[in-house]
Amino acid sequence: MPSKFLLNRRTCLRGLGASLALPLFDCMGWADAGPKPAKPPVRLGFMYMPHGVVMDQFWPKSPETFLTAPPPALEPLKPVLNRCLMVKGISGVPIAPFNGAPHALELSTWLTAKLPNVTHRNKIDIGISADQIAANYVGHLTALPSLELATMPQTHKENQEGLNEGYYTHCSFSSPKQALPAEINPRAVLNRLFGKTSKSDQPTHADPLDGKMLDLVLDGARDLRRRLPKGDQEKLDEYLDSVRSVERRIAAIEHRQKEAAQAKSGVPASKNKSSDSPPIEIKIPEGDKRSEYMDVMCDLNVLAFQADVTRVSSYIGSTPNGVSYPELGFSGEHHSYTHHGNKEEPKGRVAAITAFNVARFANMVKKMAALREGDGTLLDNCIMMWGSGLEDGDKHSRENLPFIVAGGGGGSLRTGRFLTGIKGNQGDLLTTLLGCMGVPLDRPLGIASGRIKEMMNA
Amino acid sequence: MFLTPNFRLVVSAIIVPIASFVPLLSLTASAGEAQPDVRRTEVNETFRKKVVPFLKTYCMDCHGNNNKRKGGIDFAKMVQRPADGRFRSAWQVSLAQVRERSMPPEDAGKQPTDAERREFVEWVGMIKYLSPVDPGPFVIRRLTKVEFGNTLNDLFGVDPAIVAELPDDVPGEGYLNTFSPLQTEQYLAIANAVLDRVLGPKDGPPTEIQKKLFGETPQDGKARDAAKTVARTQARRAFRRPATDEEVETLLRVFDLAQANKLTYPASLRLMLKAILVSPQFLFITPAKVVEADKSIVPLDDYQLASRLSYFLWATMPDTELADLADKGKLHEPEVLRGQVKRLLADRRSRALFDGFGSQWLGVGTLKAKPFDAKKFPQVTPAMRTAMYDEVRLFFDSIVQENRSVVSFVDSDYTFLNGTLAPLYGLEKTVTGPEMRRVKLADANRGGILGMPGVLAVTSFPERTSPVKRGVWVLEQVLGQHIPPAPANVPTLEKQNQKQVANLTLRQRTELHRKNPTCANCHKVLDPIGFGLENFDAIGRWRDKDDSGGPIDAAGELPGGKQFSSPKELKGIVAGRKEELARNLTEKLLAYALCRQLEGYDEIVVDGLMERLARDKYGMQTLVMEIVTSYPFLNRQVAITNAK
Repeated sequence: MPSKFLLNRRTCLRGLGASLALPLFDCMGWADAGPKPAKPPVRLGFMYMPHGVVMDQFWPKSPETFLTAPPPALEPLKPVLNRCLMVKGISGVPIAPFNGAPHALELSTWLTAKLPNVTHRNKIDIGISADQIAANYVGHLTALPSLELATMPQTHKENQEGLNEGYYTHCSFSSPKQALPAEINPRAVLNRLFGKTSKSDQPTHADPLDGKMLDLVLDGARDLRRRLPKGDQEKLDEYLDSVRSVERRIAAIEHRQKEAAQAKSGVPASKNKSSDSPPIEIKIPEGDKRSEYMDVMCDLNVLAFQADVTRVSSYIGSTPNGVSYPELGFSGEHHSYTHHGNKEEPKGRVAAITAFNVARFANMVKKMAALREGDGTLLDNCIMMWGSGLEDGDKHSRENLPFIVAGGGGGSLRTGRFLTGIKGNQGDLLTTLLGCMGVPLDRPLGIASGRIKEMMNA
Repeated sequence: MFLTPNFRLVVSAIIVPIASFVPLLSLTASAGEAQPDVRRTEVNETFRKKVVPFLKTYCMDCHGNNNKRKGGIDFAKMVQRPADGRFRSAWQVSLAQVRERSMPPEDAGKQPTDAERREFVEWVGMIKYLSPVDPGPFVIRRLTKVEFGNTLNDLFGVDPAIVAELPDDVPGEGYLNTFSPLQTEQYLAIANAVLDRVLGPKDGPPTEIQKKLFGETPQDGKARDAAKTVARTQARRAFRRPATDEEVETLLRVFDLAQANKLTYPASLRLMLKAILVSPQFLFITPAKVVEADKSIVPLDDYQLASRLSYFLWATMPDTELADLADKGKLHEPEVLRGQVKRLLADRRSRALFDGFGSQWLGVGTLKAKPFDAKKFPQVTPAMRTAMYDEVRLFFDSIVQENRSVVSFVDSDYTFLNGTLAPLYGLEKTVTGPEMRRVKLADANRGGILGMPGVLAVTSFPERTSPVKRGVWVLEQVLGQHIPPAPANVPTLEKQNQKQVANLTLRQRTELHRKNPTCANCHKVLDPIGFGLENFDAIGRWRDKDDSGGPIDAAGELPGGKQFSSPKELKGIVAGRKEELARNLTEKLLAYALCRQLEGYDEIVVDGLMERLARDKYGMQTLVMEIVTSYPFLNRQVAITNAK
């Protein structure tokens, strides 16, 4: 049975700390491949750090010295700087009338480039986020339309400016009114990526009739819908949509399994090339070191892209407020240090936290750069953006949002450069990245007014 | 794994849990809640004659005229429908700004007199009387993670932890109701896991619970009839109401699907059961009856009421007794309903009221994951975190179970300790061992939530106390005041000479920033309260000196001129403000019970509730009882249906 094939090969899952060999991808291809080997698809990933940076530690001194003498924060990226692109001059969304809630806004505007609805601030009502726009376009081609990850539970309790608490903890919105919860448990992510369904290591029998059963349940739910008042109907629609999306996912997995079975019996399928690297190993950490924890989430992102389980991801490396970094030798909250008043000690800590986060991102993209794919590397076909929604956390400024784009975007991005003197906003940046991925937009993304052509290859 | 909690300057006030529905009784508001039309006319007139001119003179140049809507505030729109629920928070903000003199801004041309400010504040408070009688919407909602786990436990006896991998719910209107593909996948996975656990292996003998769920295996030819009986019975339990014929038919189609695929009878029932577990009727709390098309306000049906009640007090599905009363159509009868509230509160499961509401209200839900400076506070072990949480829980529970006055949350002379927690009280000699027990307190600085380590810890930073956080916490969570957020572009503090500052106590340093007029407005109110608790360190131990070595100065003054010099006196002053305390708790608990924020008419409901509560000495059980029998709990507003 196809499902057995998938499950039986995943044999190394037992026990925390075990390495996970996942030798199942040698016969998995890109789902939209035609008869001839396809060009690898472009993948888009976002990784977030709140509270901004210490500017003189982050921005390169000049375009000329970008590759040769990068600033301290970029040190871990040195080996792949020629695959990175930095741009100074991208401004964030002006947050008035929510001036009292800079941290809810830094995260929730990051991928939406849009402010929450002012009148209904207590409800989630913002805009669809860039990652979800991409997922709408390419999500049907993979088992998962997109992957949302986070390092901590998304349950920060805070209520400023009367804003819904979800704005503090979410960056991905599948519709203006729906914030997407993120996975925080690496094991659950792994299970989700590869179709295992329960938290026990016993493979739950993936029931071949589940898809059809859901179909019947959906029919019944439509009957129920007719009986309900309008407000209830809207709620139920979310259910109907999400069940349909799960049905699609089940179909995609079945398709994969069929291909895998065929490949096993010698039928050539639309596979990765034999030159592609084997899947990376995932090691789930035993302790609670933040670095190990974040690294495994990054690894899972790499694996998901490598195995083409999804092409779109967002990773909230940490949410605003409340996070501390005992691993770095100090116990105060990240947020408190960012209000450093230009004093050396807290400033140094902000710089250390930034370096720590960039290092996680660097580990991820370096891994991608080491994985062969098609005629190049996985990183060549990715657009990975790391960034923050504030520039200077001390002043809550957002004139020059700090961010790093890594990856070739399938040849669409001109990397290895630091661009200055650019005038653009967060919406323009996201529009540009979506353009590089080939995602057409039928309306401006948030405050966007155009693309930043300087970032792209002609 | 990192579970870092977060907490910040303004601790969230509203704890909308998750919920859903509304039930019953009568369509008219009870006497205490009804508002005479005369009053409404009067208020309307005052509003037109006083509030509108005030706004025109002092506010609308920036907030309403010529499309100017600074801060998102548009009085031009608000004065047209002042009682519209959407404007409630805008009115509250305006009121606070005018009262605290943050508005109009200092550089504005005209400033209202003190008397005008006072009148404005008073009149804005009257806007509630313009609200039409309205129980508020009660949209179907999905079960929360906790409710989902408990419900599975009630249905199948599985460990509620089976839902552990679901994403945590974020409270807040609008969010909890949403449903993402990730959740759907997990619901399917959990359904599989539950059935794997409770049903026998494919060809093995049936488990006990399987026998109970499935009954006897029928003879050939009778399978579909037998399956129909199972479908009806199991759906009644899982949907918490009788299934309609169509719903039973849907389940039978799933059974047919399994049979057509040559599954055995038990395996076919398994698939059918799984269909129940991923049905919206299970995952959401749905009404049993179709709403008549011409009604816009309807009472909850008894099934919905049973669910609303049991998810409110137990965080799980109705038990047999509640279900039977719903079947008989008796639950909405006032005496029956009151009797059930008493019974549910007396049951162990009412602990859910603390885990769901109390822990959020008091903020200790974040204790488990809150970061502490490990070097400074090595005693904060998992056992300590648990003990801190349990102290607050048992204390809350004692007030509920003993129907004590809500004032005793602040002012009591007992607490609950074990050997782990006792050292924080200096009672390590008398209290030992792991068991939590009730302890009578001699020290009046303790006793009540203001002196509890769990509360004091979550309102601190990992390494030190925060008088500001504590001040905000007391004002917002205990007294229910609205504190405006810090203004934008706060000038940086502490540009002072480091050497000069080094020897100051935290209080002295914090007071420095009150010299800045922008900050002073709010901080002169917030900080003194926090200073009043400075004798308690960041994990709630008593101290006489702060980290700088300087003596603690716990003197301060609350708005209104009441002075205090110790935590004990602060506690006494706060406890003396019964009305505010009770009103705050009432509003928060009502919002939790209704699973939504309170809006215009709800304030009238709260007014009525407060009167009856005061007559009954603010008893905690009385409060719960009043909420369950209140108009918005028993009724719901529905949008006009577009289909019958």
